[in-house]
Amino acid sequence: MSVSYQPVLWNRTKLIYDAVLIVAIVAYVLIFLKLGPMLSQAMAETNVPILRMRAFGSLALILLTVVLAIGPLARLDVRLMPLLYNRRHFGVMTAIVAATHAWYVLAWYFAFSPTPQLLALFTSNTSFGHVAGFPFELFGVLALTILAVLAATSHDFWLSFLSPPLWKAIHMSVYGAYAAVVLHVTLGALADGKNAALGVFLFISLGTLCALHLIAGRRERAADKAASAQDEKTHWIDIGDLTEIAENRAIIGAAPGGERIAVFRSKGKLSALSNLCSHQNGPVGEGKVVLGLVTCPWHGYQYRLEDGCSPPPFKERIRKYRVALSGTRVLVDPEPLPLGTRLEPLSIPEEQLAASAASSGG
Amino acid sequence: MQRRHRRAHAAIWTLLAIALPVALTVIFLSYPKLSKDAPAIRLDEPSKTATGQS
Repeated sequence: MSVSYQPVLWNRTKLIYDAVLIVAIVAYVLIFLKLGPMLSQAMAETNVPILRMRAFGSLALILLTVVLAIGPLARLDVRLMPLLYNRRHFGVMTAIVAATHAWYVLAWYFAFSPTPQLLALFTSNTSFGHVAGFPFELFGVLALTILAVLAATSHDFWLSFLSPPLWKAIHMSVYGAYAAVVLHVTLGALADGKNAALGVFLFISLGTLCALHLIAGRRERAADKAASAQDEKTHWIDIGDLTEIAENRAIIGAAPGGERIAVFRSKGKLSALSNLCSHQNGPVGEGKVVLGLVTCPWHGYQYRLEDGCSPPPFKERIRKYRVALSGTRVLVDPEPLPLGTRLEPLSIPEEQLAASAASSGG
Repeated sequence: MQRRHRRAHAAIWTLLAIALPVALTVIFLSYPKLSKDAPAIRLDEPSKTATGQS
């Protein structure tokens, strides 16, 4: 959580995440450059500078594929949620690798250009009227520009400055970058028909990412459609049964407008909070109560059960809702309370506590 | 807000899942192909001619 601006807040998990990433990147480049020519005659006959640009270009495609797969994978299987924790560093690393590829391209193909290298890049191929031979370099420039902007605005400072919804909307342009990369590779590296491995990987990447995102989206849509039942008189919504809520965990319901609400159970009491973490809109309700604080599963942001505020000195807040029990049914007022409103968690009556304990025990 | 984000996300990936395979098909079909009566020895394949495999 943030009190004031700091360039990077390092911790052990982040260091391990980044170390694994860097080791994997170095290993890939070394294997490509050293082992590749031993295994492939075509690679052995290729100039080293061209091999270098291919190593970094293919690596950028692989990294972008993985970074785009993390989101839906974490939605489909919570065990993969730790991958989300430092995804932004993954994205920054992808931008650096892609920039290295571009630098090698400029240094090799435009080293002796009589015009400035960037000008030569934009003017050397003007076959705009043909599909085959279309200036694929432009798609690469577009993708790299998007990745560079996203890397530059990836820090929490920009997330806070722009607000999570706007920041997330801007960062969805990474999908445009991916589309540009696919076209860049297809029109460029695959055009001579000699790079079967890259072609196969491109198809696997595209198929896998489309399938993962569409399957995860379908599940979310189904959850949205299953909006919680609403009482006609009070308009409170029925989130579920008390027995469904494990200790220090939550169940999630949906208000008529679609906003999701999480009801936590901790120490014999119930608290209803917005399911959206104020940091990156992570699913707070999929987290758990740690030392009396609701903890978001994405980046560990924490909130008090009684008012939805982070403990001092942190300043993050999420909305709180009124909660009631009707028998063992958990009801929530879909109208949120003003941010920071203090509302003591609802005590579960003894008989319902015993009943739910017996039910969960059986 | 999150629901709008989810809808935008689903719309983008539906579009990509349709548009990109179509674009790839068009690009692959447009690659120049050798005519049936093209000579067997190709000057544009230096690796084969260099090793005498032509």
